Amino acid sequence: MNSAVLKKTMYWFVVPALTMYLVFWIYPILRLFQYSFSDYNGFVQDFNYVGFDNFSQIFKDGVAGTSLTNTLIYTLVFVVFSNLIALGLAFLLNMKIRATGLYRTAAYVPTLFSAIVVGFIWSYVYMPDSGLIATVLSWFGFDGANLNLLGNYDSALYAITTVDIWKHIGTSTVIFLAGLQTVPVDLEEAGKIDGANAWKITRFIRLPLLATSITINLTLSVINGLKAFDYSFIMTNGGPGRATSTLLFEIFRMAFREQQYGKASALAVISFALIIVITSFFVLKLNKREVSA
Amino acid sequence: MSGTLKKTLTHVGISLVLLLNVLPLLIALSSSFRSVKNMTNPLQLFSEFSLESYRVAFTKMHFMQALGNSLMLTIISVVVVVLFTSMAAYPIARINNRLSKVLYLFFLCGLVVPSQMVIIPIVQTIQGLHIPSSQYTPILMFITCSIPFSSFLYTGFIKSSIPIEVEESALIDGAGLLRRFWQIVFPLLLPVTVSVVITQGVWIWNDYFFNMIFISKAAESPLPLAMLGFMGDQTNPTAWNVLFAACFLCALPLLVIFAFLQKYFIGGLTVGSVKG
Repeated sequence: MNSAVLKKTMYWFVVPALTMYLVFWIYPILRLFQYSFSDYNGFVQDFNYVGFDNFSQIFKDGVAGTSLTNTLIYTLVFVVFSNLIALGLAFLLNMKIRATGLYRTAAYVPTLFSAIVVGFIWSYVYMPDSGLIATVLSWFGFDGANLNLLGNYDSALYAITTVDIWKHIGTSTVIFLAGLQTVPVDLEEAGKIDGANAWKITRFIRLPLLATSITINLTLSVINGLKAFDYSFIMTNGGPGRATSTLLFEIFRMAFREQQYGKASALAVISFALIIVITSFFVLKLNKREVSA
Repeated sequence: MSGTLKKTLTHVGISLVLLLNVLPLLIALSSSFRSVKNMTNPLQLFSEFSLESYRVAFTKMHFMQALGNSLMLTIISVVVVVLFTSMAAYPIARINNRLSKVLYLFFLCGLVVPSQMVIIPIVQTIQGLHIPSSQYTPILMFITCSIPFSSFLYTGFIKSSIPIEVEESALIDGAGLLRRFWQIVFPLLLPVTVSVVITQGVWIWNDYFFNMIFISKAAESPLPLAMLGFMGDQTNPTAWNVLFAACFLCALPLLVIFAFLQKYFIGGLTVGSVKG
């Protein structure tokens, strides 16, 4: 260690970012815990502490249970499908064929659109009667007019998850592709010489070397799924009933439409705990599986 | 022969997947080029070419004003993020002691918690500091939320790719800490800077959440927020052509930049994330 180069005064460089981070991030998180035990409504600054009342209330009236379940289903479907499709697409695009650049662009373009725009365009896709799916179904003689995917209690959550998967695939595919390109060709050839078939090469050579990008993609998609909000807000407004009401949407609704800051904060604290637990589990579990070429 | 067949099948497979992928966008694009009243089957692609819907959308969303607001929000935020996070990463990457480790993990924690979740106390904090709700208020949040990811990328890159020796020779030549960082280290960080500008820039450009919370005046709205004015039109088939035109107007600036800097967009995602 060269102490002349590495003076402790260097730590002054951290100050601007650290200040922002503490004031607008760490301090609010601490306040969140305080609000969750109070009857604070956003206007009156003197509030009372009500213990665990907020927590028991949101569990009693089913808000917490419903939004937790919705968020977990959303996350599971999102993680599984966005990664499987992206992995398959990455394998296809990694073959030595022409026009991969064009294909890659086509896969990536949806990621550039704002969630608002994506939500509007997909509202048309799902629209009963004259929307895209309804029209195509009527061509084939099915009754597309009454198929209302967003308005149906059982399908609405899956419908908005599909939109998020569609928007996210480009990002995951690019990360998988970068991972695949780190797989050395001579390793694959060595496998072939040893008599491994295509499946075995994929299973024992490519996938272990992809571990890093699999970890990244899984972690990113889990985080993304747990913070689902956009399409519930833009496309369904949490409905029908509470079918697409995710944790974040419910927090937003309680805080800004009902002025129930205490209850919303309690739900945020629960979400906070859930996200920490799930993410740390993922990071710890997956980091053990990485190998390098 | 089987090789050629396999290749053809691969092409067909990929094309099908990607066609499904871009189909909603294609239909929206084709509808946006129709006149406002043309309600014939939207699946007849590009049957008409009129800019009428664009004209209507352009005035309805005050496009030029919103574009200016978007540019300002994004540029200011991204510049500050690059300066703050590259600076913060420098001592964390260079000095190898407990304080650096703690800071590193401390910043990293922010990656996990979605900022929308903490929005209630954030709004209270900003009001408590007597920061007025103006069109610049969201910038505070854009910067704060970009800190974890960007400082993580910079730290990894300084550790792995910038040898300490380049700085030692500068020290012998008598350069101070500030000059050493800004003249020697910072220019070498260019690949990460590109990646940070693109990833954070795309997110900030497209974000409507913080804008929705802090911006109340229509004249101060950036593009995605101007789109919220069309919210009621999504279930009204007669308003589609204009709605789609607005969608593409909103996406156009970013699509144009992407067309020119494609390589950086796709490469920027993988800097520091995948080895190699």
